[in-house]
Parts: sequence; structure tokens; C-alpha cells
Amino acid sequence: MSATIAGRRSAPTADVDRPGSHRQHEVLRLLPGPLLVIILVFLGALVLIPVLYIFLASVNSDIGVANGEFWPSSVTFENYSKIWTSVGLATGLTNSVLVAGSTAVVSAALSVSTAFVLVRYSFRGRLSILRGLLALQSVPGTLMVLPVFVLFSSAATYLGIQVIGTQWGLFVTYLTFAMPFSTWVMVTYLRGLPKELEEAAKIDGASNLGVLFRIVLPLSWPGIVVSGIFAFLLGWNDVLFASVMTRPESQTAAVALQIFGASQEGGAIPYYGQMMAAALVCAAPVVILYLIFQRYLVGGLTAGGVK
Amino acid sequence: MSTDASHEVRPAVESAAGRAPRTANDAGQQPGPKDGPRRKGLSERNRPLWMLIPGGVLMIIIIVVPLLLGIYMSILNLDQYTLRKWVSAPIIGVENFVEAVTNSPLLHAVWLSVSYSLLAMVVTLPLGIAAAVATQNAFKGRALIRSVFLIPYVLPSFVVATVWRTMLQPGGIVDEALATVGIHVGLWLNGPQTFWTLVLVQIWASWPFIYLLALSGLQSVDHEVHEASALDGALWWNKLRYVIFPYLKGPLALAFLIGMLHHINNFTLPFVLFGVPAPSDVEVLPILTYVTSFQSFRFGLSAAMAFISLVLIAIPLFVYLRAVKLDDADTPGAKK
Repeated sequence: MSATIAGRRSAPTADVDRPGSHRQHEVLRLLPGPLLVIILVFLGALVLIPVLYIFLASVNSDIGVANGEFWPSSVTFENYSKIWTSVGLATGLTNSVLVAGSTAVVSAALSVSTAFVLVRYSFRGRLSILRGLLALQSVPGTLMVLPVFVLFSSAATYLGIQVIGTQWGLFVTYLTFAMPFSTWVMVTYLRGLPKELEEAAKIDGASNLGVLFRIVLPLSWPGIVVSGIFAFLLGWNDVLFASVMTRPESQTAAVALQIFGASQEGGAIPYYGQMMAAALVCAAPVVILYLIFQRYLVGGLTAGGVK
Repeated sequence: MSTDASHEVRPAVESAAGRAPRTANDAGQQPGPKDGPRRKGLSERNRPLWMLIPGGVLMIIIIVVPLLLGIYMSILNLDQYTLRKWVSAPIIGVENFVEAVTNSPLLHAVWLSVSYSLLAMVVTLPLGIAAAVATQNAFKGRALIRSVFLIPYVLPSFVVATVWRTMLQPGGIVDEALATVGIHVGLWLNGPQTFWTLVLVQIWASWPFIYLLALSGLQSVDHEVHEASALDGALWWNKLRYVIFPYLKGPLALAFLIGMLHHINNFTLPFVLFGVPAPSDVEVLPILTYVTSFQSFRFGLSAAMAFISLVLIAIPLFVYLRAVKLDDADTPGAKK
């Protein structure tokens, strides 16, 4: 993104085209002013009104939310203190952080080494592996959940390894499903690194591992962060596997959040206020990660298309 | 992706990404497998192929084996009694497939999935393009607006669905707001309108993805192009239509494919929004497969349904894989 802007600055006509100057603005203009304002206001409202509502509902009473109040008639912050104990959101969040966090770290480590080999060495089957990575990341979870469940329960029956109901089962599953995309992100990233440094290191006698640890790793932190965060998000956002493979003590935040609404089958008003507060708490880590790493993440998303 | 066309005229081996700084690095690098044996470069000796093993083993055990297992299960008579000893479950051949096609809501689910995905896509495309075009030029507060636009994309799906579920409750905020302008829609989360609820929420959640890819396309427009159209005195609409939009074709085609795949595979949104068993008007493929497994315990039938949906997904997936240049850094593996 920045490269494009820099390119524009150094365009031949740069003296008149300082970004922000009136003429520059007219040349680059794509939309007439009023239309621009209409689009921005419409889309901004589309996003912000629901978001504002979540905040307001999270400090509202359950009845207030159920009656469709936008502005709470009585503001209370009790919801934020109750959510931790009422349905086990604290356990859920701890589990989510543990599972998604370890998924992120391990998947980033594995995908760096895998991508390193795929990018820097040529061998038979390399292209098939690359194609396989792309194909595997599109395999739908609903297709996999039953066979994976059966596989894990067979591990318990035949090998005596209890996987289902533990955090390990989720960790292994998320790790594997994160691998294709994380590796692909690293493949695109490593391709952009200069090869000369690695060759120089090899001439100086560095081993393959030496090259990976001393040259590639220090240079590819942005890529590693992106691939780790995507693995984290995969674990954090998953509902499918978590709803099938967990017990109450190993459930993740995504599952715990659903329980707030579950009391409505009894006919009473669900914990709406708490549910909105909990929704914000569940979204917070993800939003914070995005805010910190926004630049890398957006680049990684459209990997290569932007740069 | 946006520079796809230009790649086709380059020699495949040397097709460095269309960016000048990299050409030097990539020259002579990454020969295809055919060139491998001939070239004895540094990288030919002592290749650390063992580094592929940990990831490879994981993916084989947790993805490839279950995939094959799933296909095998689709020819078994598998229910809650035979599941524990699935190895010795009776093989019934194509019966599951026959039942899935003739005597189950599968075809209805396929129709729902495809139409809902397309409808959501038809609306999100113009929204995303408009957003990208509107935020392309610098103005005060643009960074903030861009972050705001990404909010629906950043929020986890299960949070989005939970929030909309609350807002769409009978007598909830949406009903109240519409009532003040005299519109009474009726039930959102039950009955025949649920299909439109799903489409609407999906639109809200996924237009920023189109926006991101459209933005990347806009950024590949050279400054000279703007200058030229300004000199020609092109009106804004003509400039967009004939000058700018052609640059967006590549990224948007990609966004269309990935978006469709994502909509068709989306389990979380309908699952959290409507719960299971879902109203029959939102019983899309992932939900149907899930319900057949974990509510009706017809595991064999569910595996057959999953296999059929895989075939359905294979169509856009195949197009996507064909479009991706494996040895180029140009194509995103964007997802989510």
C-alpha cells in the first residue's frame, strides 16, 4: 500500500502533485462529493448502529433488551461482573485462550519450516504439495467433523487415548486445519525475501537449520505474526468442532456464549444483557489483535494483491 | 491477481511477480520440478525435506485420513448403535446416496445454499466496490473510516450471529425500530422469512471482504491512468465504468469465488442465528449435514450428504485452483 503511494509521489509530475494538493485531488477523484458522503454515511451507519447497540444493550437490563430499547432506561454495569460466573464464561475464555494461543504458536512454527522448504528447495511433488495446501484450506469443516470425531473416538476405543472432551482434541484439530492457510501465507511471504542473504550464509558454512534460524526467522516476523494470528482466529472463532468435541469443563468461549441464550427454552427472558456483554468480551481479543497488527493482517489477507 | 494477464506473456519459470524489486531475486530461482535434476545449485544438495514431515503427518492424519474415512462411512449403515464399532458396520453400498437424493431435504438444502450464497454475493459486490471507491482517495478521517468498515469482518462469526439473534427477537430492537416507521415484518427467526434473515446477516458480515479485495484492485491503478482520464475530461461515471472497473475484474473474480465458497461452507452463522434443528427454510447444507449426524444420528446418511456437498464445492474450488499461479506470489490464499 505504502509502496504505491510512494510511487505516486515520485511520479514525473511530482512538483504539482503533492498528495493533498487541490489538483492532485481533482485528478484522483473517483466520485462526486455528495455521492461520496452518501456512501460513507450509509455504510458507516450500517456498521456502527449495530455496534453501538451491542454496547448499549450490554449495560441494559434483560427486560430492556427484550422490549427493544435502544437507549437503556436504566444503565447497569452488573452484566459485566455477572458473566464470569453465571454460565462458565471464565472457563470458556481460559480454554479458548489456551487452545487458540497454542494453536497459533505451534502452527506458526510448523508453517515457517514447511514453507521454507517449499520455497527454497526444489523437489519432486513440490507443486502438488502447494496445490494440495490450497485445496485443503477449502475443505469444509462440516465435512470433516464427523470423520474426525469417529477417528478420535476410535483412538479412545482401540489405543486407549482419550481425545474427545479434552483441550488436546481441539488443539490438534485446529492446528491441522490452520496449517494449510498458515503455510500458504508463509510461502507468499518467504518468496518476497531476498535469496542472496541465505546463499551468502551458506557459503559461509551455515547449515540448513542455521539458515532457517539465523536468516529466515529474523527476517520473516511480519509473516509469522500474520500466519499465527490467522491460526489463532481459526481456533477462537470455531463453533462446529467445539460444540461437538467438548465437555462443559473443556468448552470454549464460542460455546459458552451460546448458553446465555439457551435459558429461553424455559419461557423466561434469557440473559440478554449478559449475552451482549459476553459477546463484547469474546470479540475483544480478536479486535485488539486486529488493531495492533492491522497493517500486516490486511496485507496478508489479500496477500500479494496489495503490495 | 490483478496483474494476471501480464503474467501469461512471461516465461513460466522466470515469471517473477510483476513487481520490479523482486525480479532480481527471483531470476533463476524456483525452477519447476523438470529443471530440478539438471541444475545442481546450492539448494540441490542436502535438502532438509524432513522439515515437511511434522506438518505433513498432521495433515495426513487429521485431514486426509478422515476424508477417506468419511467417504467409506458414506457406504455404511451407521447409526448410534453401530458407530462405536464402525469397522464392522454393515456395508450397504449406494443406499445412503439414494436416500439422500430421493428421500431427504438434501436437494432443497443445495438449492437454499446456492441461492442464499448468490443473493448475498449480488448485494455485497456493489457495497464492497462502493466502499472501496469511496475510501480510495485521501481525506480527513479516512483511516478511521477504513477501520470502521472492517469491523463486521473482524468480529467473530459467532458474535455477529449472537448479536443479530438478539436484535431480531420478536419485539426486539429491529422490530421496534421498524414499527416507528410503520413497517411490521413479522418473525425473523422462525418461519418462511428466515431465509431472508440469513441473507441479510450474511451481507452485513461479508461485504468488507469484497471491500478489501476491491481496494487492492484500485491500488493497482497507475497514476498515469488517472491523469489520462482527467485530460480527456472523462465524467466520473465514465471514468469508473471504462477506466477503473477493468482493474477490479481480477480481484473481484477472486472475491466472488472465495466468497461463494465461504458462504456455502458457512456453518456458524445459521447455526448460531437459528439454533438446531433449524427452520426448514434455512436448512442449508452444513446445517443439514450436522443435524443428520448429531441430532438424528444417521451417520452414514450424513457422510453421503457431506460427500455430495464436497462435489458441489469442488466446482468453484476447481476454478479457484486453476486461477492460482502456484509459483507466483500474486494470488492470495485469502479465506475466512
